[in-house]
Amino acid sequence: MTQTENLLQRLPTEMGGLDAGPIQRVEHEYAPWEKRCHALANVLDIHKIISTEEKRRGVESLGSEIDGALTYYERWIVAFANILFQKQLLTPGELAQKMDQVEARWSRDLQKERTERVRA
Amino acid sequence: MNPHGHDHARSPDAGDAMPSYYEIMETSVRELLVEKQLISAGEIRRMLEVMDSRTPALGSKLVARAWVDPEFRARLLANGRAACEELGISFFEDTQLIVLENTDKIHNLLVCTLCSCYPREILGLPPDWYKLKPYRVRAVKEPRAVLAEFGTVIPDDVEVRVNDSTAMVRYLVLPQRPPHTENFSEEQLASLVTRDAMIGVARATVP
Amino acid sequence: MSEGLGRALKPLPNIVKAEREDPLFKAGDNVKIAMRFPIGHFRVPNYIRGKRGRVEAVIEPPAVNNEDEGFGRNAGVKRHYYRLAIPLTELWPKYGGSSNDGLRIEVFETWLERS
Repeated sequence: MTQTENLLQRLPTEMGGLDAGPIQRVEHEYAPWEKRCHALANVLDIHKIISTEEKRRGVESLGSEIDGALTYYERWIVAFANILFQKQLLTPGELAQKMDQVEARWSRDLQKERTERVRA
Repeated sequence: MNPHGHDHARSPDAGDAMPSYYEIMETSVRELLVEKQLISAGEIRRMLEVMDSRTPALGSKLVARAWVDPEFRARLLANGRAACEELGISFFEDTQLIVLENTDKIHNLLVCTLCSCYPREILGLPPDWYKLKPYRVRAVKEPRAVLAEFGTVIPDDVEVRVNDSTAMVRYLVLPQRPPHTENFSEEQLASLVTRDAMIGVARATVP
Repeated sequence: MSEGLGRALKPLPNIVKAEREDPLFKAGDNVKIAMRFPIGHFRVPNYIRGKRGRVEAVIEPPAVNNEDEGFGRNAGVKRHYYRLAIPLTELWPKYGGSSNDGLRIEVFETWLERS
């Protein structure tokens, strides 16, 4: 098996048979957006808009660099976006525009909150 | 979330700061799918409530019930999902559950080397370490060393079984009931059962 | 139902079953996992490819191949998954624990051959 075939035949997310160091007993309290992301995954699976297996494959497809750099739910949401684009349920343009709107809306709300807090 | 499905909640650790790029992406994807009527905001809200209702405490009660009721225990070992449903623990889709009994001769532990399969319908969301590389690599290769890192030493005459989830079957470890607990109430017994004992990296013990 | 409980003990005569409805293997059978290396998506980890094990249980009911589901297919001929027992000494030449230690893993029928 050549080096490059190995890149295809072993998925970046697959952990069996490798080497690793000590287990860090890390845990974190899930952020609300992470729980919402998980809820979204479950609802998408129920509707079979994105099945659980499609999600897994979508995360595998991100490649090792992104897989290594993003956290667990960050990988999920990027995988969802990619799959929705492939299924023509969303376009990259739509998502980009919506993200701008959401960011602007939050920015305004934060600004309002800060101003109100100063007055109070 | 307000009725339009817009969620102005911040990440708790972000405090006064703007949400992350990925939180913005999550909100945007969700709102677009709701606008296109592919999902509803209500479904997401309800699913969050479902998820919040599944915690290790649920698993502890299940284990305690199996410890005190031998017939329930037998049903749980024969068909995990059906026995859970007796207690109102619903499962998603085609998921099946195999409950793995730890005995004097056999110690089970759970892992998912391909992703992060976990009995979420019972225990809720898994701890980070379960999903990270070191546990997932070493649990199938050197389970005894992994158990030792968790402070669990398994004698050589006890068989260690590593259960790696790959399909629709999920697992839950039924830990051994600690000795000298004959007079414990079911509630007291449940308090002895930790999440880690139901993953199989720890035993249930009397503190 | 994970062990096929409730199946008819005495089937009525002359019933023809759809292809693949009956499991190919039964509990106790010795099997070998194929040495295949698909790209794109798979649910049989590399570390068990080509290894030998024993069928511990037949998972009922038969189901769609989850590897196909990764690309959106959710229909097709349903076949069985099998819960396999594979000694850790079979998987890892330098395994240092007890020779009785083992893996339990579910594998789809199309990956298995009689051994």
